[in-house]
Amino acid sequence: MERNLIEKRMHIYLYIVVILFLILVSRLAYMQLLQNDKFSTLARENRMRLITITAPRGEVFDRNGIKLVGNQPVYTVSLVNLGRKDMGGVVQRLAGILGTDAQEIQQKIDQQERLYEPVKLATRVSEEIVIKIEEQRLELPGVEIDIEPLREYPNGNMLAHVMGYVREINPEQLAENKDNGYKSGDRFGQSGLEYTYEQYLRGRDGGRQVEVDSKARPVRDLGVLGPVPGNNLMLTIDHKVQKAAEEALARSSQEALRQGYGEARAGAAVAIDVRSGAVLAMASYPGFDPVKLSGVLSQKEYNEVFNSPWNPMLNRALLSYAPGSTFKMIVAMAGLETATITPQTIISDPGYFIWDNHRYNDWKLSGHGQVDMVKAIKVSCNTYFYQLGLKVGIDNIAKIAREFGLGEKTGIELPGEYSGVVPGPPSKFQLRKPYLSSEGLRKVEEIEQRYEDLMNKATGEEEKKQLLDKKAKDLLAVNWELAWHDYDTIITSIGQGDSSYTILGMANYVAAIANGGILYKPYLVQKVIDPSGNVIEENQPVVVRHTSVSPETLAVVREGMREVVLPPNGTAHGFFTGFPPVAAKTGTGEVFGHDNHAQFVAFAPYAQPEIAVAVVMEFAGHGGAMAGPVAESMLAAYFGLTDLSTTYINTPE
Amino acid sequence: MLEQNILFKKLDRTLLIAITIIILLGLVIIYSATKPSGLLPVAEALSTGDDPFAYVKKQMFFVLFGIGMMIMMLYIQYEDLLKHVKFLYVLNLIILGAVLIVGDSTLGAQRWIAIGPNQIFRFQPSEFSKLLIIICFAAYLNSRSNMLNRLRDLLPCFVYIGVPALLILMQPDLGTALVFLAIMFGMLFIAGARPWLLSGIIAGGIGTASLWIWAHFWLAANRGFELWIPIKDYQLKRLVIFLDPWQEPFDAGYNVIQSQIAIGQGGFWGRGLFNGSQTYGDFLPFQKNDFIFSVVGEELGFIGAFLLLVLFFVVIYRGILIAINARDRFGSLLATGIVSMLVVHVLINVGMNIGIMPVTGIPLPMFSYGGSSMITNLTALGLLLNINMRRKKILF
Repeated sequence: MERNLIEKRMHIYLYIVVILFLILVSRLAYMQLLQNDKFSTLARENRMRLITITAPRGEVFDRNGIKLVGNQPVYTVSLVNLGRKDMGGVVQRLAGILGTDAQEIQQKIDQQERLYEPVKLATRVSEEIVIKIEEQRLELPGVEIDIEPLREYPNGNMLAHVMGYVREINPEQLAENKDNGYKSGDRFGQSGLEYTYEQYLRGRDGGRQVEVDSKARPVRDLGVLGPVPGNNLMLTIDHKVQKAAEEALARSSQEALRQGYGEARAGAAVAIDVRSGAVLAMASYPGFDPVKLSGVLSQKEYNEVFNSPWNPMLNRALLSYAPGSTFKMIVAMAGLETATITPQTIISDPGYFIWDNHRYNDWKLSGHGQVDMVKAIKVSCNTYFYQLGLKVGIDNIAKIAREFGLGEKTGIELPGEYSGVVPGPPSKFQLRKPYLSSEGLRKVEEIEQRYEDLMNKATGEEEKKQLLDKKAKDLLAVNWELAWHDYDTIITSIGQGDSSYTILGMANYVAAIANGGILYKPYLVQKVIDPSGNVIEENQPVVVRHTSVSPETLAVVREGMREVVLPPNGTAHGFFTGFPPVAAKTGTGEVFGHDNHAQFVAFAPYAQPEIAVAVVMEFAGHGGAMAGPVAESMLAAYFGLTDLSTTYINTPE
Repeated sequence: MLEQNILFKKLDRTLLIAITIIILLGLVIIYSATKPSGLLPVAEALSTGDDPFAYVKKQMFFVLFGIGMMIMMLYIQYEDLLKHVKFLYVLNLIILGAVLIVGDSTLGAQRWIAIGPNQIFRFQPSEFSKLLIIICFAAYLNSRSNMLNRLRDLLPCFVYIGVPALLILMQPDLGTALVFLAIMFGMLFIAGARPWLLSGIIAGGIGTASLWIWAHFWLAANRGFELWIPIKDYQLKRLVIFLDPWQEPFDAGYNVIQSQIAIGQGGFWGRGLFNGSQTYGDFLPFQKNDFIFSVVGEELGFIGAFLLLVLFFVVIYRGILIAINARDRFGSLLATGIVSMLVVHVLINVGMNIGIMPVTGIPLPMFSYGGSSMITNLTALGLLLNINMRRKKILF
C-alpha cells in the first residue's frame, strides 16, 4: 500500500517534471529558432561600432604655393553612453580631468539620442590630459580618445577674414545640409572661403568597423574605409603683399591712436592685379583667431570677439565707406566724356565756391590759384570739382561711377559684401524716407500712390517726364531733404554726402582706370585641386564690362594720379621714393560727429600698371597721412622693395 | 568488504555518466566565460599575466572535493542519518544564524562566510543548508505517514521548514527560500499529502503573493501609498522585471535582456565554442555562475542547450527511479528531496536565463562556477547513489 502510493505519486511527479522541461525546451526553441534574427540584430547592435575617420579638409595655398591654411592632427575626447549605472561618476571624473563643467557634459550626453554614438566633448586636447585619461582607463568606460585632423594656421591670424573659420556644425546648418551627408559633430565652414568652398574643402569621412566589448573597448577590427581628403585651393592672394597689408594696418592704427585719433582702431586694404581682377591681398583690421573660434569660447572670449565695438569679425574690405576725394576721378572722367570740359580748361580757385548763396570751401582756404584738370587731381582741388560736378550733373556722374562698378557688388566669392551707394535722387529719397515724421511719411505715401496711378495712365514720354517733375515738386513741399538739390551734386563731386563704396570696389575701380577701362570681376580662388593633384576647377579672369571712357580721358586721369605723388604739392608726395612710378589719390571721407575716414588708392607701375590698391583707416583723419603708408607697404612688398613706411608723413588731404 | 563490493556493482552508471558529462561540459563553459578577451592594441589588455584557467582550476578543485564527499556518502548507512536529525537541524540553524552575524555581503546580501587564513575559504551556508533540510525533513515525514491529510497536519511541517527558510530570507536570499518551499512541497506530495490540498496551498500562495506585489505597485503609482512588503525594493524589482525588461534596459532589465540576446542569437547550431560575442564581449553578466546557461545557448545553440537539458533530465529521471525503488520510506523521501532540489534549480536557473522566471541568484547544479553549490550537489548525489545501492530489487 505504502509503496504503491509512493510509486503512483512518483509517476505524477515525473509527468510534472516532463511538462516543466517541455516548457523550457519550447521557450528555447522559440527564442533560438524563431526569434534568432531579432536577437542576432540586437547582438550586432551591442558589439558593432562604426568609428568615423575624419577626412582632413582641403589645404589652402597662396599664388606661389605658400601654405596659408593646413591641417594638424589633434586629440579629441568623446564619450559613449554605454547606459551604465556609473555614468554619473564617469562624467564627474572626466569633467575633473578636462576642467569643464560636469553638468554641461551630462547635457550633451542627454541630447544624444542614439545610444552608443560617441559625443565629442573636447578637441585640441593636450597630451597631459590624454595621458591622465589613459592612466584612469578602467574607471572611465566609454571615454574615447581619437586623433582628428583640425585646421592649422601656419601664419597665425593672417587672412582670417578671407578664409573665415571652421567650427562644429550648428543645428540650423545641420538641418539645412542634412542631404549633403552632414551629421552632428562635423566641422563646417562658418565664414569666408571656408563657408563658400565648404563643399570643395570638406572631403569625405572614412570609417572603421570594429567589434567592441561591453566597456566599448575594441576587440576586433572588421574593416576600414579610408577617408578622402578635401580639395585644395590655390588662391590669387600673394602671401607677402597680404602680410605687408595686415602689418601696415596694425601699425597705422597704432600711429593714428598715438596722434590722438581715439577711434582709429580699424581699417581695410585690398590689392588687385589690374590685368585680371585677381585679388593679391585683402586685409581687415582688427583680426581674429580662427583657432580660438573653432572651439569652445568662454563668455569673456565670446564678448571679446562678437560684442566688441570694433567688431573684429567684420571683413571691412567688403563694407562701404564714404570715398572722399578718391571719387574725384569719376567726376573728371564724366566731365571729359560729356565734353563739359577739356583737360586744358583752367579755372581760378580763390579757396571757395559760392552757389545759391552758399559758400563751399576748399580744403586749402587760400586757394590753389590757376587749376587745370591734372593739377586739380594732383592737389585735390575741391573748388574745381564743385564747379565741374555741377556742370556735368549728377546723372552723368552716377553713370560713370556705375560703369566702374561702384554701387554694386563685385560678386567676389565671399559672403557679406556690401553694394555701396551711388548718390542720386532715388537713393537720396530712399535714404531720407526712414527719418521722416509719421505725418510726413503719410503724405509721402499718398503722393507716391497718386503718381503711380497717373504714371500708369500716361502714354507719351513727354507726359511722363512732366509727371516726374511735378512729383518731385510735391515731395519737396513735404520735406526739403526728400528732393535732390544742387547742394547734393556739389558735395557728391568731392566724394562726400551719400556716397559709399567698398574698399574692394574702390580697388577694382582704380584697377579699371589703370588697365585702360576694363572692369574685371575680382576673384580669390585661382584653382581647385583634388587630393591627387588634378585641377578640377580653374578660374579665368572675367570681364564685367568695357567702360565707355575713351583712352585719352583715362590717360589724363592717370596723369593726374601720377602727379599726386610728385613734389612739390602732390597730396601724397614723399611716399614711394625709390619705387617704380606710382600713381595715387588720397581721400578723406567725412563722418558726422567723428574723425574722418582716411582713404587712399594707388596703382603702379604708372606706364604698365600691374597692381591697384585701396586702403581705408577708420576715423584716422587725412587719407595721405594714415592710409598712404599702408598702400606704400603693400606696393613695397609687391615690388620686393625694403619697406620704408615706418616714417609717417603729414599730408594735408 | 564483500558486501561493499556487491553494493558497488549496483552503482547507477547512467546517472554517473550523465553527471560526469555535465561537470566536464561545465568546466569547458566556465573557461569560455572567464578567459580574458583579447583586446586590440588600441586598448591595453586587461589583466594581462592572469592565468586564463584560474577559474577552471578552482572549479576542478571543488569537483574533486565534491567527489570526495560523494564517495564518503557511499560508505555510510543512510538510515544512520535518522539518529542525527536533531543535531543536523540545529547545526543548520546555527550556520544560517552565523551568516547573518558574521557574513560577508555580496550584491547587498549576506550570503557568505569566510574562514581560514586571510579568509580564503568562503562558502555559502545556504547551499549546504538545502541538503541538511532535505535530510531532516525526510526524517520528519518518515515518522508521519498517513498523518498528512488535513491542513492542520501540514502546519507543523511549514514551521519545521519555515524557521530555516526565514533565516535565509533575512540574508536576504529569496531564491533559496523559494527553493526550500519547492523541495518541501515535492516531498509532502510524495509523502502522501492530499494533492488538492497541496495544489490549493501553492495556488493560494502564488495568488496572494502576486496580488500583494501588484497592489504594492498599483498603490505606489496611483495613490502614493507604500504598501508594506516583506522583501527589499531591489529584490522586488528583480522579481518582476523579467515580465518587461525593456522598461529599464540598463538597470534592472539589463541582465535579462543580455542573457536573452545571447541565447537568441545562438540559433540552432550556436556561434561556436568560445565564439559568443555576448560572452567574450562581456555583455552577458555573471556568465560563469547565474547566467552560464546563456553561454551554452549562445555558443552551442539550441542543440547544445537542448542536450544539456536532456542530461539534467536523465539525472532527474534516474533520481525518480531511485526514489521509487528505495528500500524504505526514508530513502524514498530523501531521494525525492534531492531530486526536487535539482528540478527546482534547473527550472529556476534556466527559466531566468530564457526570461520566463524572475532573476534570483540560483546556480545551475553541477554546472555553475561555485564551490558550495558543487560540493552540496555532489554530496547529495552521493546520497542518491547510496540509496540506489541499498535498494530492494534490481533496477534496469
